[in-house]
Order: sequence, then C-alpha cells, then structure tokens
Amino acid sequence: MAYYGRHLGGGIALAVAALLMASPVHAQDAAALNAEAAQNDWPTHHGTYKSYHYSGLDQINPGNIKNLEIAWMHFPERATRGLQSTPLAVDGVLYYSGSYSRVYALDGATGKTIWAYAPELDEELVAKQTHSPYNRGIAIGQGNLYVGTVDGRLIALNLKTGKPVWDTKLLDSKKMTVGFTGAPLVVKDMVIIGAQGGEWPGRGPIFGVDGKTGQKKWEFFTVAGTEEAMATWGNDSWRTGGGGGWMPGAYDPETNTVWWGTANPAPLYDWSGADWKKSGPRPGDNLYTTSVIALDPDTGKLKFYHQELPHDAWDFDSAVGEFVMIDRGGKKLVVHANKSGYIFVYDRSNAKVENVWPLVKNINFVKSIDPKTGELIGRRDLSEGKAETPLCPAIAGGISWNSGAYSPKTGLYYRIGQEWCQELTVEKTTPILEPMAQLNIGAQFKLVAPPDGPARGHLSARDPVSGEKKWEVTYKAPPLASVLATAGNLVFVPDAEGVVHAYEADSGKEVWSRNNGMGHNAGIISYMAGGKQYIAVPAGWGSLVADEFVALFGEPYKSMPKNTGALIVYTLRQ
Amino acid sequence: MKLPIVIVASLAVLWPWHPSRVAAEQPATAGTSNRPAQAEASPDDINGEQMFATTCGFCHQNGGRSAGRGPKLSKSERSDEYIIERIKKGKAGAMPAFGAVFSDGQIIAILAYIRGLDD
Repeated sequence: MAYYGRHLGGGIALAVAALLMASPVHAQDAAALNAEAAQNDWPTHHGTYKSYHYSGLDQINPGNIKNLEIAWMHFPERATRGLQSTPLAVDGVLYYSGSYSRVYALDGATGKTIWAYAPELDEELVAKQTHSPYNRGIAIGQGNLYVGTVDGRLIALNLKTGKPVWDTKLLDSKKMTVGFTGAPLVVKDMVIIGAQGGEWPGRGPIFGVDGKTGQKKWEFFTVAGTEEAMATWGNDSWRTGGGGGWMPGAYDPETNTVWWGTANPAPLYDWSGADWKKSGPRPGDNLYTTSVIALDPDTGKLKFYHQELPHDAWDFDSAVGEFVMIDRGGKKLVVHANKSGYIFVYDRSNAKVENVWPLVKNINFVKSIDPKTGELIGRRDLSEGKAETPLCPAIAGGISWNSGAYSPKTGLYYRIGQEWCQELTVEKTTPILEPMAQLNIGAQFKLVAPPDGPARGHLSARDPVSGEKKWEVTYKAPPLASVLATAGNLVFVPDAEGVVHAYEADSGKEVWSRNNGMGHNAGIISYMAGGKQYIAVPAGWGSLVADEFVALFGEPYKSMPKNTGALIVYTLRQ
Repeated sequence: MKLPIVIVASLAVLWPWHPSRVAAEQPATAGTSNRPAQAEASPDDINGEQMFATTCGFCHQNGGRSAGRGPKLSKSERSDEYIIERIKKGKAGAMPAFGAVFSDGQIIAILAYIRGLDD
C-alpha cells in the first residue's frame, strides 16, 4: 500500500490499493462462508451458510479427547437469563454477546479482553418485555460486528476496536414490545435481521440493512407481506397477526436466496376448531406465519415459500431450525426442523416438499404430514374449553430454538428432540385489533409427561433426508443448547444439567464429559487460534423453555441460578 | 393488609363505573397506545379469567393453578398489595412489568381471578 501511495496520485492510489487489499479478503470470506465446514474460523451463526454447525478441525478426536481441558473462561456482566448466544471466531479472536446485547472480543488463545461494548438500552421498556433481555448472537462482515437489541435497534461496531459505527432504530419497540434477540445474517453488503413476534400482536418484519451505512434497504412483513397473504387473514386480523423471524436463516449463493423461518400467528391458540378458515380470531391460513420463506437479499422480495403449518393453532413456529443445505442424488436440498418435531426436506430451487419425517415420538396435533406434499393430515383443531387429552408436543416444542449439526463426513444429522405434552384449555379472548404491549395467548396450559413415559429429551443421529436413525442417546431432561459436529469424528452436546458430552460421531459412544456447573442454552463452536483447536461453550441457564424445567424435573433446576453465565473454552492439554 | 375476596370482587364489578376506567376507554394516543384492546371493549367487559388466559397464562400455567415458567398463584399466601405491586413492576429477568399496560381496574380483576382459584 505504501508503495502505491508514493507513486500514484491520491484518489487513484487509494482506489487501486482498496482493490488490491479488499478483493482477496472478500473472496476468502465468501469461500469460508460458502464452505461445508467451518475451518479455522466460525464466521457466521450457523457455522457457514450451509448451516451444518460443523467444524472441519480434527486436532481433537476420540483418541486424545481425554486430554481436553479448560483453557480459559470469561464471565459476562449482567447475565440475566444466563447465556443464550452462539459465539463467532475470526482470525483467532472470539466474539460473543450476552444479555442486554453486551458484546465481547477476546483473544481466542488466552481469553484476554480486546474490547467490550455495552449499549445503553431503554431499561423501562426492557422491564415490560417477556422474552428479554437475552441476546442469541451476532454477525460479522464489512469490517463490522452487528448486534440487535431488545429495544428495536441494529448496531454496527468496528470489529477491531468495538467502537460504534452506526446505530439504526428499526422497530417502534415501545409500541410493539418486541425487539431483536436473534443473530443477524450478513449476505454480501446487507445485514438481515428478523424481529421477535409470535404471541405479540404485530406484523413480524424482517429487515435488510446496508452494512456500511446502517440505512434500511427493505422490510418484509411475515404477516400479510403480499396481497396474496393479506387475503389469508380474515377480519383484518393481519394487523395483529404475530409472526416474526426471531432466529437467523441462511443463504444459498447459487440462487442468491435467503432462507428464513417465520414464527407463529397470534393468538397462539384458537377457539374456532374445525371452522378455522371462516371463524375465530384469525380466520384463514395466516400467511406467512409458521413458514419457510425465500427472499431476495438485495430487495427483500419474496421468491417462494412453503407454509409448514397452515393456520398454526399450536405455537409450532418455523422460526426455529437451521437450514441444512445438502446435495443428494443430483438434487439440491435444504433440511429444516419445525418446532412441532417434524423435519421438512425441500428442493432448494422452489421450496417444493421432498420429504417430511418426525424426529420425536409423541405427536398428536396432526395424525401425520404427507411426506410428498407437506399436507397436514388429521389436524387437531381445538375448540373453546378443555382438550380431552393432552396436546403433544407441548408449547416448548418437539424441537427447541437451538440448532442441530450435520457432518458431511458421516452423512448424519444430529438433532435434539423433546418428548412432552400439555394439558390445555382454550379460552375465547377479546379480539385484538391494534398492536399493543401485551402477549396474546388464548389458553391455559400445563406441561405434562407424554403417554409413552417420562418427559425427556434425546439426541439422534439420522439420515437428514430419510430420517433413518443410526443411533440415539436419551437424556432425563432435554438439552437446550446447539449441537456441534467436528471432522475429528466427534459430536458435542452441552446438556441442561451443566455437563458437556462428546460422542463418537459415527457410533454414538460417549468418549468425554465435563461439568460446567450450570445449564446450557446457547451455541457451541470450534475454532483455531495459534495453531490449536478450541471448543467454546457458553454456559448459563434461563431461557423461557428452561423456565419450564423446575416444575417438570425439580432439582438441579430449582436451585440453578438464572442470572449468571460463563464462556468456557476447552483445548487439548499439552 | 389483605383485601377480603368480597371487596376485591366488588371492586372488579364496580370498576366499569370508576372514573379512570373511562379514561382508559378513550382512543389511544401516543402516550396511551399501550392500552390493551380489552380496555376499549364494553364497560362491563373486564374479565379477569380472560385477561389471565390472554397474557398471564403463558408463564403461570393451568390458569395459575400450577407452577410452570412462573410460580403457582392459587392459594398464594402473598398479600394483595404484593401481587398488585408485582403485576405492576414485574421482576427483572423473570416477569414483565404490566403497570403501564393494564389499568388499575384490570389488575384488580386479575387479582380477583387469582383469589378465586381453586387448586
């Protein structure tokens, strides 16, 4: 750069230098983001755009994992509701967020703080929020780090210094109550982030923001985002429909398509029974709630979609679930887990259903889902009053909001399933016609054990397309953290009690475990720093699903703190 | 001090004619846009059970009869003042503050519903 600066005129010199410096870096970033495996870095929430939660690093393997020990720890401030975020790692630096959108940049080898950032939030608003003040992740791109806030802002920080670059207010959170808790997704020059929604009356927008300037470029309403969709909300119920896209989606560069999952409509439960197309609080299919939608990242225009549960009457979002992009038999597929416990397999070019298979055993909200069309068969649409038998799965879902993992080495998809049901009494509530700072539930419910045994969780290793099971591990309580697979033939599962387990990826044999001392409900990653492989696990208990565990499972959850957390980083002992 | 159930229930019944209830029914402005739809319904429409099912039941399960995300509320030994204060101010990281969302009358209606719960 100095050479060109001395020999060329100012503007031209800078332009040439920028090209020489930026292009290779940009190309390298794109290659890393598009890869199947995260290698030295963990550059985006789901590992790479293919959403495998898979590290290509293999220093740590079943042969030496007995030497895996804590390298360093970091304790965030104000860890209300524990830690729920997935860290990122770039060039040996680990970045992660905690509650109140506090962000930390740490030396990946030593844990030494490089910078820390704490935004000033609207604390009065935070005090009114139910799903708050946790943060579930960050994004990196254009030399910036991006984080959303529960008071409706998206903030860019300089990646090197942690200094704010821009701070854009996207949502009127005072009116809507909701803000941002999910990680953004960087696609080319755009930062994409989805709002909370679901049980809050609103229209659940997803935003595209210019990464360099912070200027809002587009906004897509997951509730009635098109004329076609508006016609699926009777009695103007689209005004308070819920929706949202509160966890990050993924990107398919081959078709320039962003895949995003959307949340449930409001109220969660509907008293109209079988007449839901014509009566009740939100008559109709309620597009595009509980759907996977494909957006053009440059314009925010809808390309195509599939509504996984038309007129979702059970709070089984599509907002949960990663988008695992795999090629199989000449087909380009994407695998997406729905909260109901069903796994949907789509054609990546048009969201046509290729298969649907159940991950969990206790399902009775439908009799089945047609694996060829995705049509719900034998829907259980409840009317006002007490349901005769418990609804399965419970409101906490057959799967929760954290991610599974896929190993291209074993060809297996590793996913946590949850077995529980709920007693339910549907209440006819007053229709809500304007957005407001209040939940809209419409029922009394209580979580109970399923018919086939105690409430429990399991990790199963399956073919992602057919669902064929190779092995399974059962847990007394469902693990709520993400799963990590590595090229070292390992699968890591941070569990609810506080123990991190490592299994052989091909056999399911447990080969290592350590107790972190508090439950996990965040994302686990692997990265390289100074030539060594590290495993980073945020520990710290307290999500809304975690809150159910006291009544269901008693100790250790009854006495487990929900206002503390730690990032615990492991590496091989020398 | 604990309000007798009869008094609480009477307050809930009488509430539709309370002056501040009328204010709650005015069209929403910037300062009052958080008022829930129930406050704009007919004056005799404060239904504690319905309000509970709309909002509170997300955490206080089985209509408040069972512990879930939040504690069991039926047969609570907490005082009326404590419950009203908790509804208004919430608890950081555990329960939202509804003081700016619900009117006093609505909070009393919810309290009356809680006090009337069987196990």
